[in-house]
Formats: sequence, C-alpha cells, structure tokens
Amino acid sequence: MALKNYAYNNEEQMLGEIMKLGEDIIDSRDLELLRENANLNGESFSGKMSKFGSEYAKWYAKHFIMPQPVVSAIDDNYVYVHDLDQYAIGTTNCIFIPFDKLLREGFNTGNGSVRPPNSIMTAMALVAIIFQSQQNSQYGGVSSNKLDHDLAPYVAKSFAKYFRKGLDYFEEHPQTDLGDISMSRTDLKERYPKTFRYALKETEIETLQGAESLIHNLNTMSSRAGGQIPFTSINYGTCTSPEGQLVIDSLLTATMRGLGSGETPIFPIQIFKCKQGINQAPGEPNYHLFLKAAECSARRLYPNFANLDAPLNLQYYNPADPDTEFATMGCRTRVLSDRFGRNHLSGKGNLSFNTLNLVKLGLEHGIALGRRKTADEKGFYRALSHYLEIALEGLLHRFRIQAAQKAKASDFMMREGVWEGGEQLGPEDKVGDLLKHGSLSIGFIGLAECMKAMYGKHHGEDSAIYDKAFAVIAHLREYCDRKSEELNLNITLFATPAEGLSGKFTKRDRVTYGSIEGVTDREYYTNSFHIPVYYPITAARKIQLEARFHDLCNAGAISYIELNGNARSNPAAFLNIVQYALSQQVSYFSINHPIDRCSACGHEGIIGATCPSCGAHEKDVHIRRLRRVTGYLTGDFQTRFNSAKQAEVRDRVKHTQ
Amino acid sequence: MNICGYYPESINEGEGLRAAIFISGCRHRCKGCFSPATWNFNYGEPFTLQRQDEIIADIAANPLLSGLSILGGDPFFSAPEVSAFVDRLLDKAGPVSIWIYTGYTYEELIRDTASPEFELMRRCNVLVDGRFEEALRDPSLRYCGSSNQRIIDIDTSLAAGKPVLWTEKYSFHS
Repeated sequence: MALKNYAYNNEEQMLGEIMKLGEDIIDSRDLELLRENANLNGESFSGKMSKFGSEYAKWYAKHFIMPQPVVSAIDDNYVYVHDLDQYAIGTTNCIFIPFDKLLREGFNTGNGSVRPPNSIMTAMALVAIIFQSQQNSQYGGVSSNKLDHDLAPYVAKSFAKYFRKGLDYFEEHPQTDLGDISMSRTDLKERYPKTFRYALKETEIETLQGAESLIHNLNTMSSRAGGQIPFTSINYGTCTSPEGQLVIDSLLTATMRGLGSGETPIFPIQIFKCKQGINQAPGEPNYHLFLKAAECSARRLYPNFANLDAPLNLQYYNPADPDTEFATMGCRTRVLSDRFGRNHLSGKGNLSFNTLNLVKLGLEHGIALGRRKTADEKGFYRALSHYLEIALEGLLHRFRIQAAQKAKASDFMMREGVWEGGEQLGPEDKVGDLLKHGSLSIGFIGLAECMKAMYGKHHGEDSAIYDKAFAVIAHLREYCDRKSEELNLNITLFATPAEGLSGKFTKRDRVTYGSIEGVTDREYYTNSFHIPVYYPITAARKIQLEARFHDLCNAGAISYIELNGNARSNPAAFLNIVQYALSQQVSYFSINHPIDRCSACGHEGIIGATCPSCGAHEKDVHIRRLRRVTGYLTGDFQTRFNSAKQAEVRDRVKHTQ
Repeated sequence: MNICGYYPESINEGEGLRAAIFISGCRHRCKGCFSPATWNFNYGEPFTLQRQDEIIADIAANPLLSGLSILGGDPFFSAPEVSAFVDRLLDKAGPVSIWIYTGYTYEELIRDTASPEFELMRRCNVLVDGRFEEALRDPSLRYCGSSNQRIIDIDTSLAAGKPVLWTEKYSFHS
C-alpha cells in the first residue's frame, strides 16, 4: 500500500519513526503518552502491549487511511480525532445495553451459552458478564440505562422462590392457586404473614449481596485491553415497583459500604435519574431513594444526577417506556434521539467523535496576539466553518469504514442484538445500515480560552462575552442540525470529555503562540463550555451560566460544582445544590468534593499533609486522593492523571468554603 | 467594627449553603483557639457601609443560600454594630435565616433582656454557644469545635423559657 499522507525522504526515516514509537513505550520515556487515559496503567506489561498496538494503529491510520485534509487539520492542531487507534479497523464507540432482553432470552458469550437467570443474585452476576462480553466489541463505555427496571423481574423471581419455601417451612399451606407472587401482593402479606416476612427478608439479603458482588466484579475484572477495567455506567432511579426500589436501595447501600476495605469503588459510575413526580419531592414514590442517592454521592462522589425534566430530554419521555428516559454514559455521552425513529436508549450508542480546538481559532482571529484591536469575528466564523467541514469529513469517512465491517468483527454486540437488529445479521454480513441509528458527534474544547483570546475576557466575566460565547456554540449546533438533515444521519454536538486532550492542544499552541495570559499559560484548556476551574464564582452563578449550554449539546454535557468541606455533614447544602441545578435545566450534574484516604488507617475524608485520625504524614504514608476526571472517577489522581489534568485539579477553585 | 473574613458560600458554618462573616475582636481568649489573630478588634478590614451593602447584595442575589452565619472573633463583643448590620440586611434583603456563633452561653445572653447582647441574639435564628474547650475538642462535630458547645434554636428557646436544641432539616442516615 502506498503512503497516503506523508512524504518521507527515505525508507530509513520512516523506519526510524516506527522504531521510536516502540522504544518510547518500552522505556516508559513518555509518561504523558502512558497516562493519556487514567484508567490504564501504561507502565504495566499489558498496558505497554496495548500501547504498542495503539500507537502503531494511529500511525498507520494517519499515513495510510485518513483523508489528507483531516490529517493536516490534526497536524496543524485544529482538530482532534478521538480514539484514532480504532479508526482504521472500524470499531464503534459506546453503547447502552438492553439488559432486559439479554437476561430474558439468555445469551451466548461466544464460548458458551447462558440461560435466563432465576434469581436476582444470578441476574446481578450476569450483568457483570454481559458488560464484560460487550466491552471488547467497542472501544468506549458500556452502560445500563435502566438497571432498576431491568433487574426488578429477577427480584420478583427470588421473592417467589423464597415465598414458596416459606409456605412449606411455616406450614402456611394455600388452599387456592396464588397466581403471580410478587412483593407488591399485599393480599399475600395478610394471608401468609410469616411466609411473606421471611421471603422479604431473604430477598433483601440476596439483592444486597448481589449488588455487592456486581460492584466488586466491575472493579476487579481487568478484562479490557491493557489490563483496564471496563468503563461501566449504570443509570437507575425511576422504577417504582417494590422490586425496582429494592434494586436501587441495594446498589446505594453496597456503594456506600465500599469495596473490601471500605474504599470508594471507581466503577461502575452510577447515575441517578431525577424525575418530578417520581423522586423529587416528599410524597413521591422514590423520594427516599433520591435522598439516599444524595447521601451516597456526598460520601462517594456519585451517583451523578441525570435530569429527565430538562426540555432536551423531556421531549422524548414516555412514562410507559423506561427506555425513553434520558440516561447517560458516565463520561456524559447522550444518544437519546434518532432521526430514524429509535428515540430510546438501549441498543445503540455513539459511533465516534472529533473535537475542535476553539482556542486556536480564537487566537488567530482575536486580540490576544496584539495583531488587531478588535476581534475579527467574520474571519473566526469562516475558519470555524472550514474546520467543522473537516471534522465532519473525518467522521463520515470513519463511518464508512465502520459500516463496511462484518458482523463477526463485533461478534457479541451483533450476534446477541446488543446493537438493536444485529441478531438478524449473519457473521459475514456488513453492519452497514444498522449503524445509522448511532450518533456522529462534533465536540469542542476551550470556549473560555477562545473568548479570552478573542475579546480579552471569558464568558464568566462579562455578559456581552457570554452572549458571544453562546452564539458560537449555537452556531455549532445549527451546523450539526443542518448536516443531519442534508446527510440523513444523527450528527450531534458534544461537550467533549477531554482527558488526554486537555493538555495536548495547549502544549502545541504554546509552542506556536507563546504563553498568553488566560489563554495558553496553564497546562490545560478548560473543558467544553465550562467556566474556568480557576475562576472564582458562586455555585449558583456557575450553574446558571453553564445550564443554557446543556440544551445545545445534544450529544451530551456535564456541569460540576466543587465543594470544599465535608459534604457528608451538610445534606441540606448538597441537596439544595443538586435540585437547584436540576431546576436550571442542567441535563447532567455532579458535585465534586475531595475524598482522601489514608492507607495507614483507612480514614476517609479530607486529609491535608497529615491524617487527622492516625497522624501519619503523607511523606511516610500514601494518601490516596480520589478525584473525578471526564465524569468517571480514577484511582489516585497523583499517580494516574496526566500532568495537564493534575494541574487542572490543583487549580480547581472551590465554589464554597 | 472590622471583619476578618467573608465567604460568599460555605458548607461548614451551619446547615445548607450559607454566607459567612467573621467579626473581628474577642475577649474570651479560649485556650487552643484556632485563630487567635481574630481576637484583635483592629484585625481585618473596616466593615464600612459600602462593604455591608456589597455583602447584602451578594446574599440577596444568591438563590442557593440558606442564610447567613455570623462568626468571629465573637460578634457579641460588637453587639450594637452587628445588630445594626442585621437590621440593614433584613431591611434590604427580606427574611434571611441567621446563625450566630459566640463564646457566651445562652444563659449568659438572656440574663439581661435590655442588653445589646440580648438584642443581637433576638434578631438571629440559631445560636452556636459556649467557649471553646480544648479538652473537649472533637473534629467530628458538625458546625462546632468542642462538645460543650450547643446549637440552639433561638425562637423556640425564648418561647419555651429554656434552651431548646436546633434540629436539622435534612439528615443522611449514617
């Protein structure tokens, strides 16, 4: 095959570049490269093995596969193609798994078949196995959008099993056929009180054990390439049957208890789905579970909160179908709408996304470089349109590669119908037409630095600049909507979860333009449309300013507030902030607060240099400092984050003292 | 009167998200006090009318606040001035829940109902009272430093004629 995009002077030069890829990895020379993803230990054998494949695959894609304008836009630092290592082979990004269907019908992992479970314990174990089976069919996250609804039938099965046992133990023999035994059968409770009480207690114990095993499994299965744990997310909160409520309650209890020595589980990221009438006010059926979710979040950093009442999400909501309830990947990806009618979540996902460097465009057309007195808005929008076209060209080109793959390449996903309709394909059939239900997303980073470069202020500092910032993002969304119509595809706008990317654009822009105050002088660019983490602003104001952008970002967005202080001891503050964010139509929200853990005594809370409980000093004893990045948690941010994200964490201004 | 600290939002000085103002000056001189610098009445910045108005505007504009907490120093050593500020706040911002911290005990403050100290307490909703006792220090306590200190519901206490402890609006189970 001929080189497509790179003119090497000679073969030796090309060989030299390939060899350097390997050497950098073997010798751990480039820590930034190895820490692109906080979930992957790039210094481990399996991490390095994975990096070998990954780095060569990127190199290959750029030089042999991708359209030249896209490669140039990457090389010139305008566009970033996420998960480039998967480009050439046509892998897709993420998915919401139809757990209800897989559990109801049973499934085959490829090495053996599994019968439908008959108890909640087994069902919970199978959830972990399904997550694991699905993860290598894709490269991104695997998510459950309604785990409470999906698992409720298996709680009922366990209850019925214990109830039948109880009838026998307590000799409460029924004279008539009992019909469907379930926890909501109050008539059975009256007629067979001992049996009912026994069955309920046993079912509660089993469900909690199942939840504990699920969470342990999802933190221990290092089954993703490079020894990573699968990026799992679970959404729940709206199922109001006693069985569904028990699933939610047990997951929260198990999460609060933590892992083996009580530490905060990293996975699955949990998202509590908030809906007025169901769980938002006293008297609503799941309000107590919302309070418990807030408590869990104050202790463990999640659940995060999904807003089913935000207009963006409410328009698809059908109370009779929980699959239409907004849910999200932990990272923030949103795939609810589909122009081909699948306006539900499970059975589809995002296909890929490319991110625009708004800062560079701002620098070239703004006042920051001192080349002009007023910003050249026309030039900015012209350049923006140009790079939007290129970002889209990359997505479409990649989509064609993805669509040309055979079903057997994403075997579990297609064969088992995890991707809706995949079960109808033969192994050699192309996935082609099925993928159109997924989303192709254009993302952006650094709106704040872009505004600073254009006008000297960012959108948190000045309301006129806020309007301009809003107009830029509205323009991006209009472009996506227009292209969706023209091309008949789901093209959506994404508030990119920049992890590896947060420092990459910045580093290179600083080389090009120098260190410019408020623009390139930090190690990272501000995530998506966020108000910069270092800018002092009240919690309410930050929420107000960011909320309006959520409605524009139909491929997903998240907003955060940073709390300084022990969130566990002030439930009122925690609840007020969450519900205020929901009332402002923030689509996906979470509160960040520090969780440190002393490895000497296990004390968890806010730890300075010395542990308040045992007095150990951080010089002598490792203090594990858990923080959030891109929506997910990672282990210790000091050893797993790349330097840009470490710097961002250091700079985060607390919105409360 | 000087103030030696102002947080527009805090979760550490009372229930909910609260603005917190620290009034300079204290004569209790509790052993082990975490900020003895604040004993000095000249510490910090003058609490000018302009500064008061800024803070009142902050409070009025912040929909997330559950109220204001007044700490020190000890605000009761500047009772008339603090009362004047509270009146100004309530006049301009409407009803605001106020927590106030002091080294005095509730019993000391109600001894003379004509005193400026009583007048100040009467304007507030919750009193965190008592001197800081180093031997009773407990970092796990919520909203106070040593276990002799009480969180008292002022209106209920005055009506009942005895100190009645404040009860939280929300609680987590554990």
